[in-house]
Amino acid sequence: MLAINLFNGLVYGALLIVMCSGLALIYGLRRVVNFAHGSLYMLGAYLGYSIALQTNFWVALVAAPAVMLALGVLLDRYGFRLLQDRDPLTVVLVTFGLLLVIEDFVQTVWGKSNLSVPAPAALNMSVDLLGTPVPAYRLAVIAVGAMVALGLSLWLRYSKVGLFVRAASTDPTTTAMQGVNTDALSAGVVGLGTALAGLAGVVAAPFLSLSPSMSSDVIIDSFVVVVVGGLGSLAGAFIAAMVLGMVQALGAVYIPDLAAVLPFVIMIAVLIWKPSGLAGSRT
Amino acid sequence: MSNLRVGMSTAAALAAGAAVALLVSSGTVLSLLTQAVIYAVFATGIALLLRQNGMVSFGHALFFGVSGYAVGIVLQLKLMPAELAVLVTLAGIALAAFAVGLVIVRVPGVAFSMLTLAIGQMFFLTASRSRGLTGGADGMNIDWPATLFGVPQSLLARPAVMFMVCWSVLVLVMLLLVLVLRGRFGAITEAVRDNEERARFIGIRTLMPRAAVYALSATVAGVGGLLSALNTGFVSPEILHWSVSGVGLMMVVVGGYKALWGPPLGAIVYFLARDVLGDYANHWMAIFGIALIAVIVFSPTGIAGALQRLFKGRKTVLAAGAVAARH
Amino acid sequence: MSDYVLQAQDVAIHYGGVKAVDGVSLTLERGQIHGLIGPNGAGKSTVIDAITGRTRLTRGKVMLGGEDVSELGTTERRMRGLSRSFQRTSIFGQMAVRKQVELASHKMGVKDSDADADAVLKELGLTPLADVTAEDLGYGEQRRLDLALALVGRPSVLLLDEPMAGLSVKESLDLAKHLKALTSRWDVSVLLVEHDMDVVFGISDVVTVFELGRVIANGAPAAVRADPRVREAYLGSAA
Repeated sequence: MLAINLFNGLVYGALLIVMCSGLALIYGLRRVVNFAHGSLYMLGAYLGYSIALQTNFWVALVAAPAVMLALGVLLDRYGFRLLQDRDPLTVVLVTFGLLLVIEDFVQTVWGKSNLSVPAPAALNMSVDLLGTPVPAYRLAVIAVGAMVALGLSLWLRYSKVGLFVRAASTDPTTTAMQGVNTDALSAGVVGLGTALAGLAGVVAAPFLSLSPSMSSDVIIDSFVVVVVGGLGSLAGAFIAAMVLGMVQALGAVYIPDLAAVLPFVIMIAVLIWKPSGLAGSRT
Repeated sequence: MSNLRVGMSTAAALAAGAAVALLVSSGTVLSLLTQAVIYAVFATGIALLLRQNGMVSFGHALFFGVSGYAVGIVLQLKLMPAELAVLVTLAGIALAAFAVGLVIVRVPGVAFSMLTLAIGQMFFLTASRSRGLTGGADGMNIDWPATLFGVPQSLLARPAVMFMVCWSVLVLVMLLLVLVLRGRFGAITEAVRDNEERARFIGIRTLMPRAAVYALSATVAGVGGLLSALNTGFVSPEILHWSVSGVGLMMVVVGGYKALWGPPLGAIVYFLARDVLGDYANHWMAIFGIALIAVIVFSPTGIAGALQRLFKGRKTVLAAGAVAARH
Repeated sequence: MSDYVLQAQDVAIHYGGVKAVDGVSLTLERGQIHGLIGPNGAGKSTVIDAITGRTRLTRGKVMLGGEDVSELGTTERRMRGLSRSFQRTSIFGQMAVRKQVELASHKMGVKDSDADADAVLKELGLTPLADVTAEDLGYGEQRRLDLALALVGRPSVLLLDEPMAGLSVKESLDLAKHLKALTSRWDVSVLLVEHDMDVVFGISDVVTVFELGRVIANGAPAAVRADPRVREAYLGSAA
């Protein structure tokens, strides 16, 4: 029993990693807390559903995030970039408006009832993990989470673009002065962040059913992860995502009332004690 | 605003409310207006924090909902008469919010907003799960007595009366705020909001005033919550959800946070959009979202701000015209 | 020695390994205008920050009217009459001019804050702008407002951090005249950090020259101007 719950914790944690890395990247470059991130996740999931209906899951896995990437680029180009001189809270409220628009759009196109997406045939089976049978699909989800975490870390650490991203996150003005096209960079990163949210949505669909409340279910958890992990830090987000995944999965079974509240208690404590994670020593 | 103007505006507002109560015959319309007024009070509380402290709270639904729960619990346990319960609840909210405020107003910028979000959600979850006292996810009924402050329930059941009660409370709250904020307290909090370092330099202790504003804004939201509890006789965890805070915040932004009448305007616009948009009723949320974005981009001080600028512009044109005419 | 309205004794401010200010002694006599000049990074603003209490002293003492205020915070020193204006204009953007000056006066403990505010506004030529919101003022007017906030409660010492920065020639001359008038009419003593050479040498009674956190010259303007060390370090030997 414990093993299963731990496993589920890993699965949810992996999902959070994919989603929250997007959120963290967008904040790092644009200093925006993207309230619409949960609805982007939802949009990606629903898009994946429709694409999978026409073709198959694997096409959707690539196509939906691709569409989200384009959407993210547009969002940055015509949203965040034009508002970059405004008070950060102003932009946060704009993302809130965006959340409403996206949610309405999803409900209009796909309706309000729950939709289900079957796991792809290749993974629709049980695998024996250390003596316990687990759904292969969920194992794949953990793999995806690990790959995203590893891929992003390596990319940021060792690639030239990754270097630019880290530089621009720390000091956008100087980076721009060095000749880096920070606008193109931001558009790319926001696109990537949005694509990651979409990817999380597609990946989540087979084991969490699609519903209009999907976005609000995850957005708070995402904020907890990103705040506790430290908004500047992807590594922190990865760790916090795993921890939160575990707390949710285990806690829901063993200490349900406390487990629901615990993430918030931690988030509150972090924000009071060290708000610089969010407010940023860089203004 | 001179005392005379304040007095006259208050009287005019009350008269307008009475006119609406008397002339509108449809109970449904009056009910809708009552809801708008209740949310107007709620939004006024949120706007107060934004205007005086420059802080955005995503967690004011907490105070909006907790007041109903507090009164409900007190009445259920039959601890004291309802009138006293109301006053004790508001006092309790004020004190608790002040204590919380002392800790959290030190947190800057977006971090503060996320913090309020977390605190609010925490209470939402707690209320959803605690079946025993508060009825859990099903909510709880509130045993209002036969008469409240001398007004019998049978009278309050009439939409026109309920509307007038809520409207009067809104007008009173706004009157109170005008009086409180135009004095020293208002000036001090504005100074802290504009330039904290300079404020400290001229001798202002910056923590207390900001915590006081937070407490005041929480209490106003609590008043709205009590009106809601009175109106429906019921309170449930949904009222504590962050989306309620979000809606309130939207009303503030769209209506305008600087003018005192901005948030009520935003509340009216919201309810008009929601219930009157007819064919597009299904998409009213998207429309409101677009309106929110448009307002933020083009008129950060909301519709009220735009109207004020328009009016100031006309006055200048008129004045210029008068000057030109004399030559 | 208690004749001095303000005195900095062997003041040093070290940040880690950096000696921003290293053993500086300054005096300010009553009714005097004392100019501080020096190249960028010489430590002038840091000295002002130290004297007003914005930064902690690594070493040394600050005496205000004979009283040791080295351990006091900025607000306490302000209450005792040690006031300053800011290099980057620091006002209350969304408040009306008169309202914020009166508030500052009230917070200083001045009994008749209205009269004090009116007097300060009149002195700086801000009376016609009394009801204007601060952020709507022109740059020069905002600088004067910054100065007004520093002048409420009749401080005995006024430290000015590059008050002429960004002002036009006329505005600089007007401000210089105001400052001169203040010292006599209002019994304020001024310590002035400035880049504008003409202004400093024009209105100062005493000039101190800084370089790399130390004083390299001190005395009457003409003497300092002629000092070869100063010419070399700051003015360029062509001057």
